[in-house]
Amino acid sequence: MIKFVVSRQLRLLPGLLSVFLVLLFISLPQPGIADEHQKVEGISNKNPGADLWRNVRQRDQELLGSLKSNSQGSSQVKSVDSKMLINQQGDLWARFRMEQLIKYGMMSLGGILILILVFYLLRGRVNIDGGLSGNMVHRFNSYERVLHWVLALVFLFLAITGLTLLFGRTLLIPVMGHELFSVIASSSKEGHNLFGPIFLVSVVLMLIRFVKKNIYAKGDLTWLLKGGGMIGKSHVTGGFFNMGEKSWYWLVILIGLLISISGLILVSPNFGQGRVIMELSHVVHAAGALILIAVSFGHMYLGTVGTEGTNESMRTGYVDISWAEAHHDRWAKECHEKQLIVSAEQYAKLQGRNPINSEDSLSLEKNQ
Amino acid sequence: MIANLIDGLLWNISLVVFAVGVSWKMLSIIFAKRPVDLSVARASSIPGAIKTVFTRFKPAAGMASRIQMKIVAGYMFHLGLFALMFFAAPHVRFLDNEFLGFSWTAMPHSAFIISAQFAFLGLLMLWLYRVLDPVSKLISTTGDHVASILTFVVMLTGCLALLESFSELRLLHRFSVELFLIYFPFSSLMHTFTFIPSRAFTGAWFGRRGISS
Repeated sequence: MIKFVVSRQLRLLPGLLSVFLVLLFISLPQPGIADEHQKVEGISNKNPGADLWRNVRQRDQELLGSLKSNSQGSSQVKSVDSKMLINQQGDLWARFRMEQLIKYGMMSLGGILILILVFYLLRGRVNIDGGLSGNMVHRFNSYERVLHWVLALVFLFLAITGLTLLFGRTLLIPVMGHELFSVIASSSKEGHNLFGPIFLVSVVLMLIRFVKKNIYAKGDLTWLLKGGGMIGKSHVTGGFFNMGEKSWYWLVILIGLLISISGLILVSPNFGQGRVIMELSHVVHAAGALILIAVSFGHMYLGTVGTEGTNESMRTGYVDISWAEAHHDRWAKECHEKQLIVSAEQYAKLQGRNPINSEDSLSLEKNQ
Repeated sequence: MIANLIDGLLWNISLVVFAVGVSWKMLSIIFAKRPVDLSVARASSIPGAIKTVFTRFKPAAGMASRIQMKIVAGYMFHLGLFALMFFAAPHVRFLDNEFLGFSWTAMPHSAFIISAQFAFLGLLMLWLYRVLDPVSKLISTTGDHVASILTFVVMLTGCLALLESFSELRLLHRFSVELFLIYFPFSSLMHTFTFIPSRAFTGAWFGRRGISS
């Protein structure tokens, strides 16, 4: 009997469940109906202050249009820009940053990398005619190399953190999401602000150390006209630094100082600079940094895979005399005259290696 | 889970390894058996020991011009790091809350930034010199490079977490400190503690023989 009642109730269960679901569905808000209802009886909740602000903005634009500069009102607050109600240039700056700087910045850096890749695929590594001799000549001392690498490492750190801040919204947020990016952006900003002044110090030390050797001299223009040997087949002459290296040096010094000063203006907003100066500083800082980063790709390429024997100079301080003759013939001649060339065996000893079985001896044997 | 591990168990383990390791090393150095000096002492060894601890802060006259960069970078790094460790506001607060129960005046934010910049520039220069100079390169071990890189990472993660807005960055800094503390007793980082007895020992030896050092 009990079994019969239970089985009957179980048969009723699907029906009861269906009724329950129908009731549940009816009780839920119906979006289609609600939208239609709102469309019919929607009210216009207009902000009474909106017209006032629109008029103020319109007035400022008219004043700007009639070349009367940003309109100045009166205020009891005595601080920078406190008399300016709306900074029209702020909109211009924000639009420039979002619509032009980021877009063209990414295109430029990407374009340079593609150009370098295409150049490498077409031209390959620039080798020394006749190969390396194994005989070396001293080019940079320890201090100069340390200075170069401090500047290079700090520059790389600043470039990575700076590009994270500039392109992060466009490139990184879609990949990693807002939460992780906020952590990375915060740390990038702190790191960027901290290392910026170290970059300035390195640039100044670099200026002091290498300025004498980087003053343009006779023959530099010829180097430029022949594209550093890339155009035509004739040999291009060069001193301790050639025209390309001198130009890179001055670019680093001048743009480096420019981005350092603009960076200091941005990082210390409490010295009375207004919004306009901050916006201009930001544009100068970002544009200068993008130029320097783009050209640094070329420098890194030529210093590593692009040219045979170049990276030795900033690694060990010595270069092969054949490399010097190929790229800096006037300086190489001086080295010959002053008898500054050391043999592969002497060089191995100077580097603290066993001359027998050392890489230099082996490469020398290969060349011979 | 990871936060609990870093703030709890790993922190305690690193502190124990650091304390036991440093104590064991120092005691083993101090109580190491040394050959007895049978010569007649010309002077007391104590003034020589004390004097040498301080005179070694200044480079030897004949060496100074050749190691200018290392001297400047060395002082920049060590003084900067000292200021960061003991006078940075978050560290003063941390030492007060976790260990000491009292505090002292922390340096202002701008001084913190300048100290950090000094320390970073000094450390970078010293490490690059170690890598680039053939003699320094030869006498450097893997352990020396690990010590330099670990110190750099600790400083960097600390400065990145400066805003104190993200617990992830604080945890990253703390984790790097824990690795540093565990590595400390087994590495050349021990010179933080050994430089005083080392100088004193040399000074005492010279003092006993009447040599001015």
